[in-house]
Formats: sequence, structure tokens, C-alpha cells
Amino acid sequence: MTQKPLELILARNLMSALSTPAFLVDEGGVLVFYNEAAGMMLGKRFEELGTVGPDEWGQMFGPFDEEGEPIPYDDLPLVSAVRDGRPAHAEYEIHSADGTSHEVEVSAFPILTAHGSQGGIAIFWPTAMNGNGARPA
Amino acid sequence: MKVKLWGTRGSIPSPGPETIRYGGNTSCVGVTLADGSLLALDAGTGIRCLGLALGDEPARLHILLTHLHLDHIQGLVFFAPAFRPQTEIVIWGPASPEASLRDRIARYISAPLSPVEVRELPCDVSFRHCPETEWEIGSARIRAASVAHRGPTLGYRIEDGDSSLAYIPDHEPALGADLERLEDDWISGLGLARDASLLIHDGQYTDAEYPDHVGWGHSALSHSLAFARRAGAERTVLFHHDPMHSDEFLDRHGEEAGERWRALGGEPGSLELGAERAEFELPAHAPQIAAAPA
Repeated sequence: MTQKPLELILARNLMSALSTPAFLVDEGGVLVFYNEAAGMMLGKRFEELGTVGPDEWGQMFGPFDEEGEPIPYDDLPLVSAVRDGRPAHAEYEIHSADGTSHEVEVSAFPILTAHGSQGGIAIFWPTAMNGNGARPA
Repeated sequence: MKVKLWGTRGSIPSPGPETIRYGGNTSCVGVTLADGSLLALDAGTGIRCLGLALGDEPARLHILLTHLHLDHIQGLVFFAPAFRPQTEIVIWGPASPEASLRDRIARYISAPLSPVEVRELPCDVSFRHCPETEWEIGSARIRAASVAHRGPTLGYRIEDGDSSLAYIPDHEPALGADLERLEDDWISGLGLARDASLLIHDGQYTDAEYPDHVGWGHSALSHSLAFARRAGAERTVLFHHDPMHSDEFLDRHGEEAGERWRALGGEPGSLELGAERAEFELPAHAPQIAAAPA
């Protein structure tokens, strides 16, 4: 049995206790966890979805730019955080499972350890302009 | 593989008439491999007695440190073989971005905390960071992995022939986690402990004590039992007893642990509290282990 890196385990444990939506990806960009708050925003619990590859989660939830165009995978804050080992921040729109759009700010940062990058965390903040960031699709 | 518990206490040495059976020495486990190689798991005060038991014979041994809290290294400067030039000691431990293993240990083995410096030790001593991948010592394959505790901390798995020992003395796998619900690969230390012949695991707190010690890096009894059940080890020894727990207290605690273990479906007699000088023999080519009297 291969155990996840301890840093990912501890990150998941912390994220589980947060009321802020948060995503966790491994070093390969696979979405390995998101918390209940993120599940509420997306309209689907992580336990229902399971792990999702890097090409899939963008298609499922976005994000989309101001014109509603999908943001290229390589331009996502979380991807650049994992790839470049640098924090990243952006504003964009994501869609939940029922089609509701959410305007969010995303802060992403890498999980760097003595053994190199183990993945990254993205925290989602609803934009301040409309409270919870949600608006009809 | 022969395993002997030389120190079972956590946090601080706790000698006295009230701890004479389970012992007052801090963490140290001696392991003799099938080819005769010697390992010491941690170097708490228990390693002093291990050193005395080795006698004056020239010795080569490996000390595998889980972490550098004082209760796991305090015995190093009282380990008699370290003061003999014919002894060769290799000390393994966790890497840290802050300083080398040698430099971090030297903070203890140096003035004003110690009368000797590392460079003054007469033995041939070397320090090595544990690799990420499995490595060999004597007839054993060793694996180390980071586990949930305060500061860089490792657990170990030692496989020798068909037998395996998992050693995770300081461990809080349930910190912010539900051990009953998580998938196996998301539980700290479970990869080390899976199906081990013998699991030596943190058992510091009762369930009633734990709420006042959340985040201190140790397990409540419920956590230890849940972890052991998930691990599926043939035998489990609860270890790193709290210094406040007397022999009488631990007798009662052990009874409760056994009852709850059986209620969880555990094999009767396959879980016990570690007692100083207890010995276990793990046959190299047999599925079952037998306990020898202390």
C-alpha cells in the first residue's frame, strides 16, 4: 500500500475543518480532495466524485474568464502553483453541477517539502461584490 | 528477528516504585536481525540498559531515530558502547531543512547540556538522513516514512525474512481525521503498519485525557485501537506510556484496551501494553509470532 505524502494528509485534515472552499491536488495535478464547503459550492460532494484527473476537473467546473471562455489548463493558478512552485491568484467564474455560476477569487500555493513539490492547495473566496459570489447561470 | 523493549515510557523518564513493571525508561527498542545485525529504535534512556547488555564485545549497530525530541535521544550520551573506540555506530534519522542530523543532535550532545561533544565520542559514529526509498541493513529491508507528530518525525518498518516490525511510537493519526472513514492511503503511518507481524504504536492517552492534549502528537486509546484494526497487524503493543500512568493505572487501562479490542473484532491476546524488558520473537519463516516471557 502506498501512503499519500504526510504533507497532503495533513493538508486534507486541515481543509476538512475549514468553512472556506478548498481544493487539494497532488504533484501530478490530480484533484485528490476538496472539502465540504467546496462541495456545497460545486453542488457535488467529493465522496460522490472521487479523484479527478487534471484534464477533467477543468471541464467539469471551469473556470471561465470574463467572456465565459474556458481558461486554459496551463493558466490556472493551481496549475502554475504546482508547476512553478510559486503562489498564484486570480479571479474567475466557475460552474456548479446545477449550472449555477460563482464569481470567485482563487489563491493557490504549492506544497513544497524536503522531497520537492507534493502538490498544491487552492482556496476559493467568493468575490466581495455580491456576497456569496453566486448568480444564476 | 528478536525484539526487546528497553524503554516504553513517553515524554520523561519516570522511575519509581509505581512504574516498576511497565518501566520508567523512555523509548528504546532493541532489534536483533536474523543475520545478527543489531538495531536500536530510538535512543531514549532505555538505550543505557541496552548498551550495558551488549557487554564489552566490539559492536556495530544502527540507531534509527524517529525524531529528536529529548525522550528519544536522551540516552545517547549514556550508551556505553559509544565510549569504546572499537564500536561503530550509524545513526539514522529524519532530514530537516534547518540543519543536518549531526548538527541537530549535537545541540544536545554539547555544552552546557552534555559533558561531551559529538566529536569527542571515542566510537566511530556517523549520521545519515533516512532515504525516501527502502534500504538494507544486514538481513533486513528498512522503510521510513513521515508520520503525524510535532516536528519532522518518522515511523519505521523493518522486514526480515517473512517477519515485519512496524515502529510508530509518537503518532497522532486522528488529528483532524476520522480513522473509521478515511481511505487507507490517507491515514498517516498505515502504509508502514499494514499486516505487520508486530506493531509498536503510540498509546499515550486515555480517551478522557485526549481532549486536553489535541495536537500534542499522540494518540488516545480509541485512535490506537482504530489504527491497529485498520493496519491488520498480527500483534500490537501500545507504547510510549504517559509519565503520569502508574502500573496500577496501566493494568486497568490494559484491561479496558483488551476488552475494546475484542469488541472491535480483534484476536484475544493480540494487543497488549508494552512493558520494559518484554521480548518478542518474530520467526523469519513462519506466519505466527510467539511471545517470550520478559
